[in-house]
Amino acid sequence: MLAGKDGRVTQHYKIANIVATEGAHLANFDEAKFAHLQALSPDERADIAFVMDARDMSAALKDVRRLGLELQVIYHSHPHSPARPSLTDIKIASEFESTRGILNLPEPLHLIISLEKKDAPEANAFRIVNGTVTRVSYQTL
Amino acid sequence: MVKVRIPTPLRTLTGGKSEVEAPASDIQSLIESLNGQFPGLKDRVCDDNGEIRRFVNIYLNEEDIRFLQGKRTSVKDGDEVSIVPAIAGGVHPGDA
Ligand SMILES: [Zn+2]
Repeated sequence: MLAGKDGRVTQHYKIANIVATEGAHLANFDEAKFAHLQALSPDERADIAFVMDARDMSAALKDVRRLGLELQVIYHSHPHSPARPSLTDIKIASEFESTRGILNLPEPLHLIISLEKKDAPEANAFRIVNGTVTRVSYQTL
Repeated sequence: MVKVRIPTPLRTLTGGKSEVEAPASDIQSLIESLNGQFPGLKDRVCDDNGEIRRFVNIYLNEEDIRFLQGKRTSVKDGDEVSIVPAIAGGVHPGDA
């Protein structure tokens, strides 16, 4: 997650991916998501599926508030696919809308980093609202 | 009564309800009380050791209970508790 103020990102929080350690337990909580993970081969699962460590996420959000900043960007990488949201990403972003309401968070942009072309990684940012994806431009300072 | 927001994956247990109420004095008793009304709920939120699962956050009002007193965090009438799944994603086969 990236945080900052007035559209300018100043903080980076790395959130652990707990698929490898907790993936098997996910069935208890969310069968649909678990079935989705099971549909992937073990390699794919290790490579492309992610579940944020809820503890890391909360700690990051707490720090963002402490610093008087706002959550601005949620990012993840696509090791083998293009830098655009997958159907799953769109669904997840929509689910996050309700969490956002509960926690009074601003709408984040979604940054996707594609490592498909090893020598030319690509990163695109998107707004995802009500299932509609709009690409947005950003600048690296 | 404490108001509890239920995330989509758990609504199969609450008969589709996104908000339920339960009597409780702390988070631990809230989870027990919810599990009484909606059997199986505790298992889905807590692991075998009774700890909150790592892909679930429980918020009291806007604060994660992990930063309060965890399951011993006290709650009172009118409080709002939210059970929130961690953010997850991935590429579905053929869905890139
Ligand atoms: Zn993705």
